[in-house]
Amino acid sequence: MTAASASRIRRPSLALRDPALFFALVTLWLSLGLFIILPFLRLLQATFIKDGALTLANLVKVWGKAYNRRAFSGSIILATGVSLAGTLLAYLFALAVTRTHWPRWVRWLLSSITILPLISPPFTSSISLTLALGPNGMLLKALGLGELNFYGFWGTWLSETLTYFPVAFMVLAAILSAMDPNLDDAAFSLGASRRRMFWTVTVPLSMPGIANSLLLLFGSSLADFATPLILGGHKFPVLPTQAYLQITGMYDLRGGATLSVLLLLPALLVYGIQRWMIGRKSYVTVTGKSGARSNFATLPRGLEIAMVIVCGLVALFIAYLYFIILWGSAVRVWGVDNSFTMEHYAYVFTHGRKAITDTLKIGITSTVLGSLLAVVLGYLFQRFRFAGRKTMEFVSMLNYALPGTVVGIAYIIAFNEKPLLLTGTITILVAAYIFRYYATGIRSVMASLQQIDPSLEEASMSLGAGRVRTFMEVTVPLIIPAVLAGMRYLFIHSMTAISATIFLVSVRWTLLTTRILESMTELQFSQASAFSIVLIILVFIADIVMGWALRRSSLRFGTTQETSYDNTGA
Amino acid sequence: MKRLMLSLLLLAVAAPVLFAQQTLNVYTIMPEKYATKVFAAFTADTGIKVNFIRLSSGEALARIVAEKKNPQVDALWGGPADTYEAGILEGVFEQYKPREADAIPAKFRSAQNYWIGIGVIPLCFMSNAKFLKDKGLQPPTSWNDLLHPAYKGALQMADARTSGTATERIYTLVKIFGENEAFAYQKKLHQNIQLYTKSGAGGAMPIATGQAASGVFYIVDALDIQQQGYDVVISYPKEGVTYGVEAAGILKGARNLELAKKLMDWASSKRLGDVMMAEKINYIPTRPDVKVSNPALDMTQVKLIDTDIAWKGKNREAFVERFVNEVIQQ
Repeated sequence: MTAASASRIRRPSLALRDPALFFALVTLWLSLGLFIILPFLRLLQATFIKDGALTLANLVKVWGKAYNRRAFSGSIILATGVSLAGTLLAYLFALAVTRTHWPRWVRWLLSSITILPLISPPFTSSISLTLALGPNGMLLKALGLGELNFYGFWGTWLSETLTYFPVAFMVLAAILSAMDPNLDDAAFSLGASRRRMFWTVTVPLSMPGIANSLLLLFGSSLADFATPLILGGHKFPVLPTQAYLQITGMYDLRGGATLSVLLLLPALLVYGIQRWMIGRKSYVTVTGKSGARSNFATLPRGLEIAMVIVCGLVALFIAYLYFIILWGSAVRVWGVDNSFTMEHYAYVFTHGRKAITDTLKIGITSTVLGSLLAVVLGYLFQRFRFAGRKTMEFVSMLNYALPGTVVGIAYIIAFNEKPLLLTGTITILVAAYIFRYYATGIRSVMASLQQIDPSLEEASMSLGAGRVRTFMEVTVPLIIPAVLAGMRYLFIHSMTAISATIFLVSVRWTLLTTRILESMTELQFSQASAFSIVLIILVFIADIVMGWALRRSSLRFGTTQETSYDNTGA
Repeated sequence: MKRLMLSLLLLAVAAPVLFAQQTLNVYTIMPEKYATKVFAAFTADTGIKVNFIRLSSGEALARIVAEKKNPQVDALWGGPADTYEAGILEGVFEQYKPREADAIPAKFRSAQNYWIGIGVIPLCFMSNAKFLKDKGLQPPTSWNDLLHPAYKGALQMADARTSGTATERIYTLVKIFGENEAFAYQKKLHQNIQLYTKSGAGGAMPIATGQAASGVFYIVDALDIQQQGYDVVISYPKEGVTYGVEAAGILKGARNLELAKKLMDWASSKRLGDVMMAEKINYIPTRPDVKVSNPALDMTQVKLIDTDIAWKGKNREAFVERFVNEVIQQ
């Protein structure tokens, strides 16, 4: 609000000169204020203000407990571990898919298998991982291994690495395939060995992608609450889980809010570094000027052998984990009666039908509204210069930078009283998803606009079309691939994310992900599996449809747009 | 066009979807698979539809307190009575004496008529039968049996921060050993713990599938696993166990107050106990006149320790604090 009114004072003509822009800005600031700034301020208020006075008492109290300090360092250690291991794994996968001469189907299989963790609800892999590698686990027994130290850091780390490395894979594969193979040729003709070429050409050129994926994975792990909830146990506390337990176990909303504020520091730090990096480097545009496109040089032999082993094993392992779920959903009683049955699916489609339709309604509404909003915001940020633009950009992506638990807690604090009484409505769920996951849409719209020469729009306007008509008939068709990429991301997360919305489901609106968690706590492993499989299939179908539309529209409009999975934020 | 888009957006964002239905809205702490059957019987008897969502006891109370000014539901169903006692202190419950409340023994209902007991669930031990056989052990019949080195890293039980089952366990231990001894015992027990689970029943499936050996559960969860067909052994400690009283109550400011009262009347009648017996829902009915058909719920051989619910409510936080500071952090 302040920025909009400030601009009105300095340039009193904006409302008259460009009423559409003025109206848009006011509306946008209102909705950003309502769904991002207000909850954020209410969260800070709950943490720092007691009896009307500013105080650090809550923070001191929370920090004073050794267990909470352990949770803080646990979060940082875990995020670092996941970020390093996930990036390494993703780099190997990305090299395998983009740089090897392995059979096409092998590479296709490798890249397809990484989609599975992306589209699954956050609990699934933790659960099958427990069954495989937990105490007395099936894989342990099959391999004749003894106990692993599973619950605690190692289990959580393994599960999060497997869950989040696909995000880094997307980023790195995009970077690796966008490089110019002629550089390899040049290095080769200068007499460099394969190994030298790899370390002096390929790796340095991947650095921006590597840095970005390190940060992305750090942020994802920092925000994840589902995995440590199941696998962390009591030995390895982390902040999001502690905040959740504080609220649901100790009935202490204020303590939970305070714990989640502790998460803000590292989260905002990562967000800051990311923005700084993006601001520093310009988007690499595929120019098509590379002349005859040759093939990438062969990778060093040792590396390729390592890749075969690592990628093969990891891909097999992931497939195995999902097979456990699929199998679990179709046997009568897990571990006792292994006869085939469809009764769990029957349960899902009768007692779980409301959750399915609710989830779909919420997912679709969020996707449609969120992408509209992303287009408008991306267009404004990229094409207009107005007072407070940078601030607006920062604010619009704030929820996305914050861990989901923080957003969820902030929303229940902010929207629980009249006149902003939204708890129990679909609005609060949709808003939580939109303002958290539309960020990728905004970014890809901005990136895509950057590659479209404004002179196209100027031409349209000089031919007499108004700004609105130009936007609708020139700009929108050109950025449709970017919009679809953002929609795909929004939809996947609106269907599978749980950390923010677990606090927001209600009697009237419930979600598949919370039903999965519920089935787990009610010892209905088979039902939880069936719910998971149904959810994965729904998302998978939608993803294929959107991916197909994306490819078609890219062909039609001649632009390329990589889906950028910037952040998964479970 | 942009304007149209934005106004659409505003509309979608600003208009909360409100329903006007003659149905009863309930938070249930009772597991969904039971609540579904119980409410189906209630609907069949009264024609009143029930909308419900299952929450853990902590989450349910946190929500009800947070929604105090704007109750989203009319009643709370199931969950330990001490949760209700904590809620009374927050002023979230409505007083109502159901029609047949007097048929329920006084120790199973609120003295001020804030809640009534709908079932009683004692703690028990549940062990994996194969584990016991392999190690040549008898099922544990004393709290001290669980300290046996054979159980090292093989016990799963609930975490007191999130689970009513876990706090019940602490109440039992305090009643048997006295407070300081109880925590000394738990420190020793900690050596054998594989994992403290978030929910009370969380360890049941791992024990059923052999991932863990033994644990402490409410009888309702243990019997459920056994009825599913898993090879587990249920046993009781000779020192005795305390029991939880599962309750139900109306929320202050309930929008469908009359319907909520009907639910409580129905819950106080013999019918609820009969439904639970028929549907194999393993609570011991609070009404003495319900015929208990399941022999596993016959408590004549079990030493049950009576506890004052107000005492539980008063000490819960301090016990949980000690559990966190002394037991899991050592």
